[in-house]
Amino acid sequence: MKLYEHEALGAIFKKYKIPVPRYVFSAEMNDAVRQFVEKEPGVVIKSMVLVGKRGKAGAVKVVSDKSQVEKVFSDLATREVYGEKSIGALVEEKLDIEKEFYLSVTYSTKDRAPAIIFSEHGGMDVEEIDPKLIHTYVVSDVRSVYPYQIRQFLVGIGFSDKELLRPLSEVIVSVYNAFWGSESRLLEINPLVVARSGDKRKIVAADAVVILDDDASVNPAVIYGARSAQGRPLTQREQDAILIDQGDHRGKAGSYVELDGDIAMMTFGGGGSTVTAETAIEAGLRIANLTDIGGNPPAEKMYRISRIILSKPGLKGVLVCGGTASNTRIDVTLGEGLAKALDDMNAEGKLDKNLVWVVRRSGPEYVKGLKMLHECFVRNGIRGEIYDSQLPITEAPIRLKELMIKHVGYKPEQVV
Amino acid sequence: MKGTVYLNDKTGIVVIGATGREASQVIKESEALYPGIVKAGITPGKGGSTELPVPVFDTLKEAVSDPKVGKLLNTALIYVPPVSVLDAVMECLDNGIKVLYIITEHVPIRDSEIIYQEKVRRGAIIVGGTSLGCFVPSVGRVGAIGGKDPSVAFRDGGIVVISKSGGLTVTTAEMFRRRGWGTYMALAIGGDIISNTTYADVLKEIKGDPRVKGVAMLGEPGGSYEEQVADLILSGGFDKPVAAFISGRFQERMPEGVAFGHAGAIVERGMGKATDKIARLEAAGKKYPVKVAFYYHDLVKAIESLGVPRDFEDSTTEHVKPLYSTF
Repeated sequence: MKLYEHEALGAIFKKYKIPVPRYVFSAEMNDAVRQFVEKEPGVVIKSMVLVGKRGKAGAVKVVSDKSQVEKVFSDLATREVYGEKSIGALVEEKLDIEKEFYLSVTYSTKDRAPAIIFSEHGGMDVEEIDPKLIHTYVVSDVRSVYPYQIRQFLVGIGFSDKELLRPLSEVIVSVYNAFWGSESRLLEINPLVVARSGDKRKIVAADAVVILDDDASVNPAVIYGARSAQGRPLTQREQDAILIDQGDHRGKAGSYVELDGDIAMMTFGGGGSTVTAETAIEAGLRIANLTDIGGNPPAEKMYRISRIILSKPGLKGVLVCGGTASNTRIDVTLGEGLAKALDDMNAEGKLDKNLVWVVRRSGPEYVKGLKMLHECFVRNGIRGEIYDSQLPITEAPIRLKELMIKHVGYKPEQVV
Repeated sequence: MKGTVYLNDKTGIVVIGATGREASQVIKESEALYPGIVKAGITPGKGGSTELPVPVFDTLKEAVSDPKVGKLLNTALIYVPPVSVLDAVMECLDNGIKVLYIITEHVPIRDSEIIYQEKVRRGAIIVGGTSLGCFVPSVGRVGAIGGKDPSVAFRDGGIVVISKSGGLTVTTAEMFRRRGWGTYMALAIGGDIISNTTYADVLKEIKGDPRVKGVAMLGEPGGSYEEQVADLILSGGFDKPVAAFISGRFQERMPEGVAFGHAGAIVERGMGKATDKIARLEAAGKKYPVKVAFYYHDLVKAIESLGVPRDFEDSTTEHVKPLYSTF
């Protein structure tokens, strides 16, 4: 889970003594902001959004003329940045910047270890820095990380500013400790600046990107509140789907994401769902949603997710697809849950008989379950084909495409 | 020795967290399919319990000192909650267990890192987190892989299936079984960011095994473990046929922020995207027997085109008829 910059500063940088500019965060203009601005010769105001590259979007502004502060603040505190609405603005002291470095800590799968990534050429997007100027220190023993090791690393890469060796090595170890202690996946400071303060120089983190491990020993959603990774509010059906798994840990049926398409995907298992969705898209089907049902959910859960999936307007086809389940009962999920949803929707006049269906599923009690589903198709006048695992899992979406072209004149997307 | 370092005819399993719902079901199923492969279970506070077909101990130390089963224990199957996994791993390593499977999902990354570094220092083999286990049809299985009736998916043969996704490990073995290729070993390595056993680790272990005729690997976006296979092959470290399928190309065309499937590792510079992985493996395929399948089901064609001999007859045809049709 990604933190807002002010959250990272307040909760993590402070605790690990990483030097930061003086700052104040607020959702709207208030006395705290006015008092802060009063004391500073100049300020930097930043929109508080989770999306990156704020500077390029004009969402970070330096303000020296104090009469402009209110106007800039209310603009940046409320504007949309790449489609994401600001939750407020961060006001920071304006630093007298001498140089800008890049510093981050993340896990490297190449080394299977935390990696400290440093460049003397920060301030721009990391993708734009010449890879030859980016250096990596791999923490191959997490039990002991000391500043002297970082100094050896800095000297080894030809770090140019000897006077900063000790303070920089200490800041880098603090940043590493923050990464490790807060159970982050990524902690990035770009730029880490060298600022003049009278006749002294100090190292200051002028930005803070923290992505916490969602599986951390303390769930970050509990501390910072759950946030959607979608960059858009949840739809009504997505919200309804989340409720399915709440308070009932038997299996999982509530993972549901909507897209603009006309093919409903009722797919099972993490890996199986991904390859099925992928093949459907490659084959030119416009998928209406993604699901990932698993862990042997009871019939009630299947009933609810089935109704949610089938209530999306504009559907033309349905793919029910999963591998050979180890655990999930096919008679319960398809023969009872899905079939009852279809019976009820038909009785309520809500079932679209023009939908084309392909079902591909195997696992415990699949012979019984597929037979029950077929009987349901017959009594409700549903058109479709039902397969077991003789049909390779990813041929099911291709078969659906063929049937849709034949029976409803479907025009698949041309995929390059 | 019959089998691999991951699972062989000397394998004796101790289940950590044995009396939990999933673990006790796995112990009962394993006992029915391969009697005697599970030797003991550990649940603190349940020592002496007779609810399972194997003896239960409070601590692993008691189990390894037990005169009956102690000497037979060499493989641990870990089923404890995420925050207890590190503790369970240390208990195993400190009591001399050298092959460990972490079945638990959602292990904190920081704990995974500590586990990985301990594993390297101690020279142990750890598979997971988020592993579904291992299947060697000629020997037995570790974990729940294949469910109650694994014969649907697994028949003895020459293919090694390696997958991050547990479900696809079984589904892939079954797809091959229907078309005439059996499984030598299927290993679900899990999709965690810090993976204790990677594809390349497995290939290095099995490269000299004459029973390996070909490898089917299933990759996902995130991290660089698939790229490492390409590097290993290009450096001459593995020269048997490898058919690969990398899922997740479609995610690159999705609106930003739509994450789906397994939450893989962070995309690293020039690595981690499905298209990066495919490109690297295809580059290896110019010099070595490596083929990337465009569709998942093309894995069968890929293995066939790489010249891997069938283990038995193809039991299906190109055109599969539906069980039922209502058109």
